[in-house]
Amino acid sequence: MTGATARRARNTLMMTLCVGAAALGLGALALILGALLYEGLSGLTLAVFTEMTPPPGEDGGLLNAIAGSVAMTVIAMAIGTPVGILAGTYMAEYGRHARLTAVVRFINDILLSAPSIIVGLFVYEILVRRMGHFSGIAGAVALAMIVVPVVVRTTEDMLLLVPDVLREAGTAVGAPRWIVIRSVSYRAARAGIVTGVLLAVARISGETAPLLFTALNNQFWSTDLNAPLASLPVTIFQFALSPYEDWQRLAWTGALIITAAVLVLSIAARALTARRDDR
Amino acid sequence: MTTVAVRPADREPEPQAQSRDKLVVRDLSFFYGDNRALKDISVSLPERSVTAFIGPSGCGKSTLLRVFNRIYSLYPGQRAEGEVLLDGRNILDRSQDLNLLRARVGMVFQKPTPYPMSIFDNIAFGVRLYEKLGRADMADRVEGALRRAALWDEVKDKLQASGLSLSGGQQQRLCIARTVAVRPEIILLDEPASALDPISTAKIEELIDELQQDYTIAIVTHNMQQAARVSSRTAFMYLGELVECGDTQTIFTAPRERRTQDYITGRFG
Repeated sequence: MTGATARRARNTLMMTLCVGAAALGLGALALILGALLYEGLSGLTLAVFTEMTPPPGEDGGLLNAIAGSVAMTVIAMAIGTPVGILAGTYMAEYGRHARLTAVVRFINDILLSAPSIIVGLFVYEILVRRMGHFSGIAGAVALAMIVVPVVVRTTEDMLLLVPDVLREAGTAVGAPRWIVIRSVSYRAARAGIVTGVLLAVARISGETAPLLFTALNNQFWSTDLNAPLASLPVTIFQFALSPYEDWQRLAWTGALIITAAVLVLSIAARALTARRDDR
Repeated sequence: MTTVAVRPADREPEPQAQSRDKLVVRDLSFFYGDNRALKDISVSLPERSVTAFIGPSGCGKSTLLRVFNRIYSLYPGQRAEGEVLLDGRNILDRSQDLNLLRARVGMVFQKPTPYPMSIFDNIAFGVRLYEKLGRADMADRVEGALRRAALWDEVKDKLQASGLSLSGGQQQRLCIARTVAVRPEIILLDEPASALDPISTAKIEELIDELQQDYTIAIVTHNMQQAARVSSRTAFMYLGELVECGDTQTIFTAPRERRTQDYITGRFG
């Protein structure tokens, strides 16, 4: 009798703790999204997408920051995706039993959790100091270094999920290894690999620290990748810390835009994964 | 010892008993690392007939099959010693082109393994590797293979659907169709019906019966009735050794070896 009561009490306690923890997490998320919408939505006008970042006290938008972010993200993905996918392919397909794979996997896991400011400092040392100035290309390289470990990890994981018997089946009709990888393994793991790439995009689109040391910022419209380049996260950082109210408004709007973009990408990633599960 | 590619139409009725050996295995041993899984196996596959390999789990029958197309070469640490002669040439030889070998020696696996692509492409995939066919010729080849595997009527209206959308039994027939499509000389079947329901199993067995008119077939099976139904020769394996090989009829009614008798009468295994 007392045993049952105690058990029930323990059960209730654990349940309360679990529900409480979940509520805390969800509540924080809701508060963040709510604050973003509340503060940022009013500033979301056409001008944000058509005008440059203004000096304090004047009207303006975020066009140069958005364009800079898009440019650096695209270049970073163009560098990081092939490197990541090829490395992941080596690890899961060609070098599955090789010692090199174990070493690369270990280092990659460290890179995956390395603070991004370290990546910024590293690129500052090897690129910015040698070139003598901040530049968009240095920013893109720093972002690419964040992309690579994410893509390596997801590519390897997804390819390892492809059953060996499927590779054997491809091999059994006389297909050479690279055709089996291209036509069978990649196809079977496609949704997962694409999801990994989209997650990498989401990850770098909010990164500020690596850009502070590399691309810095730019008040004006610039398409010169060899010069300092504006980006949304750095602009938000600068504007949010300023004493000017109109700058702070723009920072809220910028934050909303990044969050919405990441949300759309995450949903796209989910949709792709779900389609795989359907089949 | 030269071979002529045999087309179905060129085939003549042949004497049942003394057909030529397509594949000859001599003193074959196989190792998973240090573990010796096959011990001095000698056996042969007569051309255009079905040879069944039976025996308890772990006796090495699947391992033996995996030597015939050297699929084991995908994995480091697995190696074979001895001779496996395909039309008189040792396929264990270093100079053997593995991709060409596998185009000549097809394999169907225990679990249906359609590629993650359309039904049409599942079959065209292997054909495209070695032949450049026009659109119409390829369509003919695909249809022929699907008819051969008794699947055409069920899929002719949805060739662009994913191979994964088919039922288990249909998927297995798709796998047989794509193996046949590349026109191999030998077909290896590794427990092809063990994951299927009785109706699908019956269809696969009918198929095997028809295919032996054109192909040399080796089948591994757990199911002794199946071995008795589909094969003309049966080999009994136990603990990595080939205990006995002979006419299916003889093996099942008057085996020479005590161990064979014990196994087929269900006394162990």
